[in-house]
Order: sequence, then structure tokens, then C-alpha cells
Amino acid sequence: MLWAVALVGWLDSDQTMFKNSVFSPVSPQALSITHLTWIVAIVAMAILLLVTALVLYAAFKFRRRPSGFEPRQVFGNSRLEKTWTIGALVVVAFLFVVTVRTMRSSDRTPPPGEQPNLVVTAHQWWWEARYPQSGVVTANEIHIPVGRAWLVQLKSADVIHDWWVPDLGRKIDAIPGHPNHFWIQADKPGTYLGTCAEYCGAGHAWMRIRVIAQPEAEFKAWEQHQLEIPPKPTSGDAAAGNKLFDNFTCVYCHAVEGTPAKADVGPDLTHVASRETLAAGRLINTPENLGKWITDPQEYKPGAHMPNFDFSKQQVRDLVAYLETLK
Amino acid sequence: MSDIPFPGASEALPLPVPQERTTGLLGWLSSVDHKKIGILYLLAGLVFFGAGGIEALLMRIQLAWPVNSFLSPQAFDQVFTMHGTTMIFFVAMPVLTGLANYLIPLMIGASDVAFPRLNALSLWLLICGGLLLYFSFVAGGAPAAGWFNYAPLSEKPYSSTVGVDYYSLGLLIAGIGSVVAAINLIVTIIKYRAPGLTVRRLPLFVWMVLVTQFLIILALPALNASLVMLLIDRRLNAHFFQAASGGSAILWQHYFWAFGHPEVYIVILPAFGMISEVIPVFSRKPIFGYEYVAASTVAIGVLSFLVWAHHMFAVGLGHSLDTMFAVSSLLIAVPTGVKIFNWIATMWNGAIRFTTAMLFATSFLIVFTIGGLSGVSLAIFPIDWQVTDTYYLVAHLHYVLFGGTVFGVFAGIYYWFPKMSGRMLSEKIGKWHFWTMLIGFNMTFFVMHFLGLMGMTRRVYTYPNLHDWGLLNMISTIGAVIMGISSLLFIWNVWVSRRSGEPAGDNPWEAWSLEWATTSPPPVHNFDRIPPIRSRRPLYDLEHPDHPDWKNGH
Amino acid sequence: MDTEAQAVSVSVPWDNNKLAMLLFLLSEGTFFAFLIIAYVYYHAISNTGVEAAKVLDPLKAGVYTVFLLSSSFTVWFAEKGLRRGNQKAFRSWLLVTLILGAVFLVGQGREYLHLYGEGVTVSGNIFGTSFFTLTGFHGFHVLLGLIALTVIFVLALKGDFLENHSSAVETVALYWHFVDWIWVVIFSVIYLWAAF
Repeated sequence: MLWAVALVGWLDSDQTMFKNSVFSPVSPQALSITHLTWIVAIVAMAILLLVTALVLYAAFKFRRRPSGFEPRQVFGNSRLEKTWTIGALVVVAFLFVVTVRTMRSSDRTPPPGEQPNLVVTAHQWWWEARYPQSGVVTANEIHIPVGRAWLVQLKSADVIHDWWVPDLGRKIDAIPGHPNHFWIQADKPGTYLGTCAEYCGAGHAWMRIRVIAQPEAEFKAWEQHQLEIPPKPTSGDAAAGNKLFDNFTCVYCHAVEGTPAKADVGPDLTHVASRETLAAGRLINTPENLGKWITDPQEYKPGAHMPNFDFSKQQVRDLVAYLETLK
Repeated sequence: MSDIPFPGASEALPLPVPQERTTGLLGWLSSVDHKKIGILYLLAGLVFFGAGGIEALLMRIQLAWPVNSFLSPQAFDQVFTMHGTTMIFFVAMPVLTGLANYLIPLMIGASDVAFPRLNALSLWLLICGGLLLYFSFVAGGAPAAGWFNYAPLSEKPYSSTVGVDYYSLGLLIAGIGSVVAAINLIVTIIKYRAPGLTVRRLPLFVWMVLVTQFLIILALPALNASLVMLLIDRRLNAHFFQAASGGSAILWQHYFWAFGHPEVYIVILPAFGMISEVIPVFSRKPIFGYEYVAASTVAIGVLSFLVWAHHMFAVGLGHSLDTMFAVSSLLIAVPTGVKIFNWIATMWNGAIRFTTAMLFATSFLIVFTIGGLSGVSLAIFPIDWQVTDTYYLVAHLHYVLFGGTVFGVFAGIYYWFPKMSGRMLSEKIGKWHFWTMLIGFNMTFFVMHFLGLMGMTRRVYTYPNLHDWGLLNMISTIGAVIMGISSLLFIWNVWVSRRSGEPAGDNPWEAWSLEWATTSPPPVHNFDRIPPIRSRRPLYDLEHPDHPDWKNGH
Repeated sequence: MDTEAQAVSVSVPWDNNKLAMLLFLLSEGTFFAFLIIAYVYYHAISNTGVEAAKVLDPLKAGVYTVFLLSSSFTVWFAEKGLRRGNQKAFRSWLLVTLILGAVFLVGQGREYLHLYGEGVTVSGNIFGTSFFTLTGFHGFHVLLGLIALTVIFVLALKGDFLENHSSAVETVALYWHFVDWIWVVIFSVIYLWAAF
């Protein structure tokens, strides 16, 4: 309930509890919702205090005294009824006005024909991100330039998912057959955590989002790097891993630019080694974790569509060596 | 049998009471007596409450700390789906229907419901529906698509076990039972009121049950239609909710919530009714603003059909639809607020006795208000865009359904148990039950508001080790354990008191409605004589022949 | 005792059975409304009307519709016969009603066979899905009505309804009227919309 939020906000003065939350907005959209939340919290707190005070007062003041006296039989009072009916209507009307005001500022309707800067497709259980202007394709970790409002088109490849990064603003469903649009913007550089918010099956808990907002130049550099095709390894474990990758079932689900792997059932791996996490936020991206993941994905993300292939230890080493070249 | 000589008493309306086998297990199983059927409904609800409660505890154990592996996601998904489905359809519905079944004929001075055999049919349909749902555990896996079962996740390609089929069949069968029971109760209330019991004199519980039954016959068909469509999709490879072949995933949501929101009021209005009976009796005053409480119930009933898409603000329906549904949803706060203030005004200047029933009713006023206010915040759709589908919503719905419905039902059970059994529930165990429940409940669900605002979404089988998430989840889990212990205290109380509780007598609370004018428990035919009904409080009039309500124009 | 205490507050013109049936039909009507809205919705968003226009024969269906609708009148004649104490009229009109209802079902069955022959099935596409679900549920309700009417008819032959008034007959008739008139809506939405 909202009123207690104020209390906790005061207790939690070091600002760690609500670090990635509804109360740490970094975009104008999210900020306007936060303001609205505070207004509603104050109104709700006032009403709750009133009701609680009245109930407790009645409970202590009007207890039955042992004398067995009978209270006056009062059946009602239509003036009082009118007072609280109109009072409630006034509160509701006020809340409605602030709602409509925030609706416009927190979720601007895109002009017709506006092309999206980013197309996000939700899959069971990862996020595909395409940048139509530059042609970059990545997964789960979405880089955006600081201070720019980008229009995002949100789609689903299978069931209903929901995009939610609390610091950046509203959540919105990814629905098959019903593409949605929303604005993404971060006015401060940083990494913002989010997650799929609509239950979508066994992997729902590990369908997390990282939005990485970078200054324009840094973002441009990242984009440039993502467009490069990583060199093909020619020797050692990495070459063996590359061969295994291309000849085994990996290519039926994944894509690596510049190789025969072109599928998009699983995340694009062209620059997998440049990401911070694996399996949509399940593991920190280190060679060791990558090896664990390849050895048994079901151990870390039960239900994931990537099966356990019973790779030998050497095969895992080879694959990790290869994937680590995909920077 | 009561032998109070009621001046001007009338005969109970002659209604053919079917021959009853009155003894033994078979007597219960074959009964068409509304009182036995009512108790069977309550027992069925209690058994399912045990199942749903165990499911809740399993979830809370899994969520007690981050990256726990007590339950696999597949198991967790079945458990939370079954928890929600069970609590709504096989706990809230049967318990409320059971209380209505037991009490309505007694409160209106009838000897039974209009169709006693149909009444038994409704009960057994509900029980069969519940058993069918639970049979899925051994038939290949329980449903795991959530209690609102969104397509296309609930479609064959994404839910390949038979769980969703059992879910659909179980709810269809129970739903047909509910519609039949609703028709039965409406006919009973319209046709079998005792002489003098006009609409304006009906006890408020009867009023609210009547409105609820209309919600049932109008809302359940929406669920039945969607379940039938889903079954056709799943069993006959049809396309209703499959976007790839021209179907629509959003239609399921519209249909489900066209049922689902009235359903919320189906399970809360009868609890409002119980509160409206309990508070006056223990404050020794008539209900304040009877007409307003009754009329606000009708207003809530009508509005409940116009608010369904507030469950769908994240779908992206567009601002105009969002605005319309925000208006209707905000408006519901008005009649609800009116009720709260009328209940408080009833207590005002009263002579309040804090029995366990009254403790539950009083705390209901505050915890339900918390749930109502968070509901208002969710109707404000920019806030909903942030907090829907998070633990904030889980907190909200439990404050409404547990703090509202369950607290109301506990108040009702402590109040009417003496009538049903002839024995008082122990007040000592009752107070322990109340305080542990109040503490456990608030511990479990209060922290969930924060978790939601901090970014924890609902229906996750586990969560990353983010700042304070583990701590708050642990508090919630401890609260849930306290609630579990508290529920056992309640069951123990019922078990002990039904045999060795203090004898209740006809009217232990000095209450005023008709059910207290017969013995506890009442005879099969309910009444030998019905007191004259000249006001809303016939027993008050009998007690106070010098200043009865009807002489004061009430 | 004052007079007010004696008055049963609201007098309802229907007996228990008819009141219960009315409430049941209110519920059933809502159920059909949802299936009808689903059909209309897919007509609008998935353009199923094109296929409906191609494969459906509104004229034939129209003829069967006339049969079904006239059965609503014949059951009414049967009730009138009963009220006048004319057992012969009562039984004959009941029989006519049964035949008309059965003819409608046969017509629907023939249409289904024809459509299956054309490859239109429940699983074929969204038109088939919504068409067969809606008309199928209606046909199922007609069948239930026919069973109930048959029971009434057999009981009538055995001489069960010799009084001038029967709650059972009136209740079943009420159901039958519902099944007939909901078809008008379904026929308009499916066949007439497809034709024009």
C-alpha cells in the first residue's frame, strides 16, 4: 500500500532499497508516473488514516460498559450519507484529472508512420533486439544513447510477454499478432534492470532485461563494433569449437554473422562475448559460467529450450574458446 | 424446539420437505436439506482451503531466499496456478455458497430452498469439478498457465500436458453448479419470504447474496464460453486464440475478465453482507443507512460488469479505452467507500462487544480499506503500467480477497457457528486465532507492496539476489507460516467446540433476524412458528414491545 | 396482526419452474452472446465473412430457419390447446413442433456434411472454428429441447397433462421459444451478413 512507501522512503535514506524501482525514474516518462504515484500515495494515506482513526476511536470509546445500557437506536442520517458520497466523488474526480494529465506525459502516442528506432521481439525466454537503422542485432542487453527518446516496437514470437524496466517507465505487453509501441529514454548513463512481467512459462523468472544507456559517442562506438564480423579462429581449441559449432545442432537455433548459422530461435551470438550476462540475466558472462551453461543449461534455467547435449569436457572447452572469440 | 410464544406468529410457508435419511454418512451424502448441503459446501471449502494453503506455503518456502531450488519452475508454476484456481473457485465460491445455502432460508423464514434436489446437484457438481481439477496432478500434470490461463500460453503448443484440459473441464462443471445454485437462491428469495418480509426489510446479507447470484448467472457464462472455446482449440485443433492462424490472444483476456471482474464481487459481496449483520448485532444498534448499504451493493454489481479491461492496461488498448475503464473502476470506489463509512457509523455511539466475530469484522474495515485504496491506485492506469503484474498487485488482491472475503467469512463463521451446531466456538482459541491471523496476514502481504514497487514481478519461481529482496521475502514467508498455524487453530477450535463447546441456545448474541428465532441447530423444517415481521428486526420488536422499530417508522 | 405483516411483499407472476427457467435463459442468453460476439469479432478482424459468403447457402439455411421459427408458433398453439382442454390439439401441435425441430436439425446436419465435403472444418481455419462452435452449440440446444419436448409428448400420450395448466409444459415451451429466437440472431449474423 502506498502510504507506507513514504515511511520506507524515509527509513531507507541511503536509497539502496529502491535503487531500480518505481521511485528511481531516469526518464521524463517514468518521472511523471513517479509524481503521480506520490500524489495518489498522499491521498490514499490521508483516507486510510481517517478510516483507521475512526475505527480505532469507535473501538475504544464505544465498548460496551458492564451496566448493560442500550445505545440509542439510530437508523441513519441522509445528510451524512450525502456528505461522504459527494466527498468520495470529489476525491475520485481529482484522481481522474491527474491520471489523464499523466497519461499524456508518460505515454506519448507516436505520430502515424513514425519508424521505430528499435524492434524488440520477446521469445520464450529471451529478448531479441534489432536496430533497423544500423542493422545491429543483439539479445537481452539493450544499448541506447543517453537523453534520446527512442520509439520501440515490441513484438512476440510465441506467447504473451511484458517489457518492464521500472526506472524507464511503463510496462507494456508483447502480444503475438498485436505489435505495441513505447518510448524508451534514459537521461543518465547507467545500467537499468528490468524483466518480463507477464507470466510466460517455465523460464519466466529468468527473462531479465538490462538496458545500458551510454553517452552518444560511446553508443556509436558500441554500435560500430557490433556491426563488425569477428575474425574466424584458425587454430587451437577455438578453431575446433568453431567447427563443432558449425557442424553440430547449434546452427539450427543460433546465428553468428559471417557463418552458416542464421537461425533466430535462440539469441544471436555474433558478439556474445561482449555481453555482461548469459541466459537472459541468469549468469554473469565469464568463460567459466559459459562452460557451465553449455554443459547443462537445464541446471541453471530449467525448462529452457536449449537442451543438454551431453558434450564432452573437451568439446565444452572448444566451444567456450570459440564463443569467447565472438567479442 | 423453541417455544417462545410469538404474539401474532404465523405458520412457516408450507413447502414440501423431501423425506430425509437423517442419520449416518449416507444421510449426509444423500441429503437435500439446505442446512446439510450448506455444511457440506463449507466442509468442501475447508478441504480445498487446506490444499490451497499448502500450495501457498510451498510457494513461500521456495521464495524465502534468492535462487532457491526447493521447487523446480515447472512444479512452482503448477503450484501457483492451482493455488489461485483453488482459492477462487473451490474455497471462496463454496464457502460463500455454503453460508448462503444454510442461512438464506432461515433468514427469510422458509423451510428450504425452492429446489432442494437441484441444490444437491449444485453441491456435487462443484465437488466433482474440484476433484477433476485435482485429478490432473496424477493424470500427467496440473495446469501451469496461471489461474487466468492466458492464451496462447494455455494453448496446446505451450501447455502440452492435460493440465489445462482438466482446468477447463473442472471449472465448467463447477461453474454450471454455481449457476444452478444461483438460480435456486434467487427463486427462493423471490418466492419464499415469510409474510411481511418485504424487500425493504430483507436482512442485508440476503440483499447482498441476491445481488451476487445475479452476478453469477450473468458472469459465469463468459467464463464458460471462453473455456469451451479453449477446449475446442486444444482438443479439436481450432484457432480461437491462436494469432498465427487468425485467432486473437487478446479476446481471451476480454472474455476472461468479463467474467473475472464480476467474480471479484461475487466473492466479496457476501462477505460485505456478513459484516453488515455482525457489526450491528455486536454494536447493539441497527445498521446505519440500510438503504444506502443496499443500494451501493446494487451499484457495485452493475459497475462490476463495466470495469473488466482495467486488468488489461498493460495490453496496449489505447488511451481512450484505458480512460473509460479507469473512470468506471474509480467510480466503484464511491459505493464501496459509502459502505465503509456506514459500517463505522453503525459502531459509533454503540455498545460494542469484542467477540472474535466482531474482532474480525472490525479489522476487516481497516485491512479491506488498505486493499481498496491500492485498488484505486491500480485503476489509475499510469501507476498500473508500473505496478501491475508485480508483487504490489499480489499484495492488493490478497488484501481484498483475504483481508476482505476471508476475514468477513471468519466473522460470519464465529457468528453463525452456534446456530449451525448448537455450540459456541471457544472465544479463547478464537482470540488466539484472530491475533495470529491478523499478524501473520499483514506480515505476509504488507511487505509485498514494497517488493512490487522495487521491481519484483509476480509468478517468478525465484529471483536474483538484489538489494533487500531476500529480507522482505523472508519476512513474508515467516508471516505465511504464522497464518498456517493460525488456520490450524481455527480448525482445532471447530473440532473441539462442535462437541464440547458451551451450549448456544436459540439466540446467544441477542440478534434480531429470523434465523435466531428457531432452535440451534434448527429442525429439518426450520421453523414451527415465525414471529410477525413488521420491521427489519423482528426479534428486536419482540424484545421491545413498548418501542418496536415499526412504531418508529422503520 | 396488521395487514402489512400478512402481505407477501412482491407478487411474481411466474411459478417457480418458469421463474427458474427465465433465469436460466438469461444465463444461456449471455453464453450465446459471447459466442456470437466472438463470431462477429473474427468476421471483423480476420475477415471470415469472405469465406462465409463463399461456402454458405443462405437460401437453404433460410428455409430451415422458417421451419424452426414456425415451431415456436406451433408449441404456442399446443399450449393454447392445453389451456382450452383440447387434448387432441395439444398433442397434435406438440407432434408438429417435434417434426419441425427435427427437420431443422436434419437440415443443419446436411449443411455440416456439405461443408465438410468442401473442406470447411473446425480445425481448418478461423471461419470454421467460429462457425461450427456457434451453430454447433445452438444445434446442441435444439437437440436438448427436442428431447425435453419428446418427454412431454410421451407423457401427454400417457395422459399426464389432463388439467388445463401444466408448469412443465409451459417451462419447456419457454426454453423452446428461446432456442428458436436466438437462432434469428445467429442466422442474421452468420448467413445474412455473409449474403449482403
